[in-house]
This record gives sequence, structure tokens and C-alpha cells, in this order.
Amino acid sequence: MTNDTQNATRVTKETKNKIRVEFERTSLWERMKIKYLSLRFLGRVVFVIFRVVLLLGISYIILYPFITKIAGSFMSPEDFADVTVKLISRNPTLDTYKAIIEYNHYFDAALTTLGVSLVSALAQMIACCVIAYGFAKYKFKGSKFLFFCVVFTMVVPHQTIKSALSLKFRYFDIGVYNFGIIKLFTGGQSLNLLDTYWPMVILSLTGLAFKNGLYIFMLRQFFKGIPDSLEESAYIDGSGVFRTFVQIILPLSVPMLITVFLFAFSWQWTDNFYVSIFFPGREQYVFTKILTVPAPFREAVNQAGGSLFNQAIMNTCAIMIILPLVVVYLFCQRFLIQGIERSGITGE
Amino acid sequence: MNKAQIASQGALPKKRKQRRVSLDRKKARAGWFFVLPFALGFVLVYLPLIIESIVSSFFTVTVKAADVITGTPASYRLQAAGLSHYQEALFENSDFVQNLITGMQQLIIDIPAIIIFSLFMAVILNQKMMGRAVFRAIFFIPVIISTGIVAQVDNMTTELSNQTSGESSIQTGNQASGSSASQLISAADVSSLFSSMMVGSELVTYVVNLVNNIYGIVNRSGVQMLIFLAGLQSISPAIYESCSIDGATAWETFWKITFPMISPMILVNAVYTVIDSFTSQSNTLMNFINNAFITEGNSVATAMAWIYFVIVILIVAVVGGILSAFIFYQRREG
Repeated sequence: MTNDTQNATRVTKETKNKIRVEFERTSLWERMKIKYLSLRFLGRVVFVIFRVVLLLGISYIILYPFITKIAGSFMSPEDFADVTVKLISRNPTLDTYKAIIEYNHYFDAALTTLGVSLVSALAQMIACCVIAYGFAKYKFKGSKFLFFCVVFTMVVPHQTIKSALSLKFRYFDIGVYNFGIIKLFTGGQSLNLLDTYWPMVILSLTGLAFKNGLYIFMLRQFFKGIPDSLEESAYIDGSGVFRTFVQIILPLSVPMLITVFLFAFSWQWTDNFYVSIFFPGREQYVFTKILTVPAPFREAVNQAGGSLFNQAIMNTCAIMIILPLVVVYLFCQRFLIQGIERSGITGE
Repeated sequence: MNKAQIASQGALPKKRKQRRVSLDRKKARAGWFFVLPFALGFVLVYLPLIIESIVSSFFTVTVKAADVITGTPASYRLQAAGLSHYQEALFENSDFVQNLITGMQQLIIDIPAIIIFSLFMAVILNQKMMGRAVFRAIFFIPVIISTGIVAQVDNMTTELSNQTSGESSIQTGNQASGSSASQLISAADVSSLFSSMMVGSELVTYVVNLVNNIYGIVNRSGVQMLIFLAGLQSISPAIYESCSIDGATAWETFWKITFPMISPMILVNAVYTVIDSFTSQSNTLMNFINNAFITEGNSVATAMAWIYFVIVILIVAVVGGILSAFIFYQRREG
């Protein structure tokens, strides 16, 4: 036994020495030639260059519209009349930004949107988490059918229920057409929920809001990945179903919940479909309403060549709308990407 | 299963059956409790919406506003219209069918392109290299930002530039809009390159369309890329290791290992892409239906949306059916 190991160490020592001697005998030039003048290395270099060029090119395609939008937002009307101006403005100005803030009620809209996004993202996160847990861990009659319903809500185009949605929350009631439960209590009066947060809250809490099917799907896959034995040991220790969920499962899924929250928040922030239906009134400003030409620029836009200026104003609006989101994204993109990776979505 | 056994340990054999049933029932009840929010919302809010939407495509709905003086509440009045809205959408409104056909053609071009592109990019972004985190961050910007209101702005600016394209054609390239990115690459170069090669004209038009659409394709493959990345990282490194020991090249490894392992994700992505591109705002038909709510009235527009929906479902079923025949599931084999 001991002899064997001694032999083995002796052999490795000898080989090591041999390699070292051979290594020292070959000159540096020879070594470099062997390493770098092979076809394999050449292929590797070509591939790396190809990869970098491709990635840079596509990054450029993604970022180019944003760059031109930002460049255009600093231009004054004179720059648009000047053919020689490309990207960099001759008379840089912040007037467009000032006008949008002053005349288009930018901050009012941002505040409303922030409120709606925070409330509904929080509600969506909680609701989707609970619903997905039910689908992932419990077998019960009708669970397959209900999950099919989740997929159904994902597939139906929003436009199909657009008019029905606005009517539903204008004359809100639980029921169909002229029959409803709320009417029984209020004596024939239905509620007008438009211009409030309630439609978004109701849709979010029931997992019916924008892309909630996707979140439920993601979370379900994630919960399926958590081993059942974890819950079983909790049950054996005498913990109930809900206590297990709150104390065992939720702490485990915090990164995933952050991912869902970020998705929900940012998609709600840029949403123009629900917001334009639920906030039709004049009092509540939302982002869809600030997409107009500010009062002092109306004349300049109608002149010859003004349409370029008009486009630049619209793009400036878009920049200002996504600016808070970009800041959030820069800090949180780690969570977004890791969360999806961790969920391990598989096709079943 | 395990739990039932554990729970029934120590209990008398006579009692075992009873206990198991009650545990199952308990679990079912807990399951129902968890999905209750969705079930309630679906039955009380979503289903009425769907029913009303279907009904409104068959009837003409007039809303009577609430009368303050007499105190009568607001109410609906329904007038049966049968299939007339559908007839109007399909036969009288020539633009709808036209848009439907071009929309389908666009989709047939886009879906394979999006899936191949996102798979390719996911494989590259999965490799170890310098600046991977930065590239990933850039690639997923469109997921967050290029939806909803930004897409709306892009549509508006494109319309504006179309209106006045004659006015100052030199400067349009100066301005940002979704379509401006396509001007980066001149399609003329690509088509001349391909016409010098001896390939079919269908392929040439396909590639030219793709190149013109590159901005849209890159923008729309963000989520797909994420799903592929997730799939790639779930493949065990041990398989790759044994493959390289057996002397497989990178090319063989991709087609023999990566591709079959990721094939379930291709199905998921195909279905997601169909749904996403059908319901996205950049979709021309979606915009058309959106405008129809104003120009044609709610009923006809809803009828159009339902026709559209039926076609979407059919395409999802066909795509899913075809792809699921080629999918490799590791579990089934092992």
C-alpha cells in the first residue's frame, strides 16, 4: 500500500521534472509559435472578433433610436430647418423639456402613474404569487381547467374587451348587464370607478391585469422547482398550510418576487391601454395625455418643416416618460435577468 | 404520497383510508383557497367582460345615460344584429381582410426570425466573455422600455414622417423613430448581393424583409432571449464535459446536445411569440382594430377583434401541434 503511493509520487515527480526540462529547452519563440500559430487559435480569434462585432452592432441598433431621440430633444426649431445639422445641435436648448414640464403637466402625470404603478405592481406581485403557489403545489378538481383559463386571459387580445372594460368600470357592478349585486344594495345605482385607482386594483388583485398570466406561469415554474420535502418537514413540525407558505416558501422566493414586481412596475409604467381606458377624465393626468405639442410651440409646428420638430417633441415626451424607468433599470437589471434564469421556465 | 404515508404512520390500518381521504380533501381545499382570487376574478369580472364583448358583437348596444331629473339610472339597450357586424367586417370593409392577410404574412416572416435570432443571441450571451453583463443589460432594454407608450410614440412619429416624407427627405434620417433604424442598413445592398448569387427570389425577398425589420425583431425578442438563457443554464455541464471527452466539436455539441435539450423552450417561445406579436401595439392589424373603434363603432370593431382572436387561437394550435411533434423531453427517455 505505502509502496504503491510512494511509487506513484515518484512517477509524478519524474514526469513533472521531464516536462519542466522540456519546457525550458524550447525557446520562448518556439513556445509562442506552437501556441499561437495553430489553426485552432486562429479560429478562436476569428470567432471572438465576430462575436464582439455582432454584439456591438446589435447593441448599436438597440441604442441608436434612443441616441437620436436624446439628440433631437436638445434641438431648437432652427436646427430642424438647417439641413446640415446632424445629431449635434447648433443651438442647444432645454426649451422642449421646460415646455413639457410646464404646459403638459408632466409631474402631475408622473405622480399619478407612480401611484398606479406602485399600487398595482404590489397587488399583482402578491396575487400572482398566491395564485401560482396554488397551481404549483396542489392538485384539486378543476385546477387544470383553471390554469387553462389563465392561459386564455393571456391569449385574448386586449382590444377584444376594450369597450366592455370601459363600460364595466363606468357602471361597475358584479353581474351581467342590468342585473347586479351592488344595485340591490344601492337601489339601482351602479358605481362609477373610472378616474380612480380601483379598476387597476381589482384587476391586479385577481391576476387579470397586463401580462399577469406570464407572471403566474413564471412563479408556478419556480414553485414547482422547490422540493416538496421542505413543506412536508414543516407540516410534520406542526405548521399549517398558510404558515408554511408565509414562513417557509415566501422567504425563499424573494428574488423571484422582486423580478415579478419589477416587470409589473415597468410594464404598468409604460402602459397606455388600461390607463387610457380607466382615466378618461380631465382631472387626472396620465402619460397618454401629455403626448401633445405644448402651447408655445403650436405655431412652430405648423410652419414648413415643423413636422420634424413635432416628432422631436413627441420623442422628448417619450424620453421623459422612460427616464425614471431607465434609472430603475440600471440599478435593478441584475434582478430581472437572474430572476428569469432562476425560475427555470421549462416547456411542459 | 409521502405525506399521506407519514401522516398515517402509527394509525390503525382501519383508520388509514379515512385519514388519507381527509388529507387529500384538506389539500384540495387549500389549493382552492390559493387560487380563489383568480377564480373569483375570472368568474365575476373577466367572464362577464368576455360575454358582454361577444354579445356586443352580435347586438347593437346603445348606452342610455343616467337622467338626473327623473332619477332613472343609466342602462343599456340591446338591438339584435345577428351576424351583420361580422358580415360588415369581413365583406363590406375591404381594408380589414387586406390588413388581416398582410398581418399573417408579416407573422410568417417574423416568427422564425425571432426564434432563431433569440436562440443565437442567447447562446452567445451565455458564453463567458468580457463585458457580458453590459451586453445583457443592453439586450434586455427593449423588454422594459419598448412597449406601450413608447411604441405608441414611435407609431406617431412614423406617421408624421410618412405624412411629410416629401417635405424634407434628407433630414428624416436625422430623426428618431422606430423605422429609422432600418435606414442603418441599406436594403439595396443586400438585394444586390443576393441577386448576384444564384438563389431563389423568395429567399431574397425574405432576407430583404428581415433586414428591413431588424430593429423590430431585435426589439421583440427580449423575453424569448431570457427564456432561452434560462433553458441554456439548466443544461447540466456534465453532459458537455462528457461530450468534449468523446471528442465532439462545438458544432456537433450544439446540434446533438444543446438543440434537443432546448427544444421544449422553442415550443414555449414559438407560442409566446405568436401571442405577443398578435397582441402587441406595433402590430398593424391591432392598430387597425384600434382605429376601427373610432371609425366603425364598437360593435364592428369587437367583431373584428373576435375574428382575429379565432385566427390567433388556430395559429397557436397549429404551431404548437407541429412543434410538439419534434420536441425532445429528457424525462421521457430516462
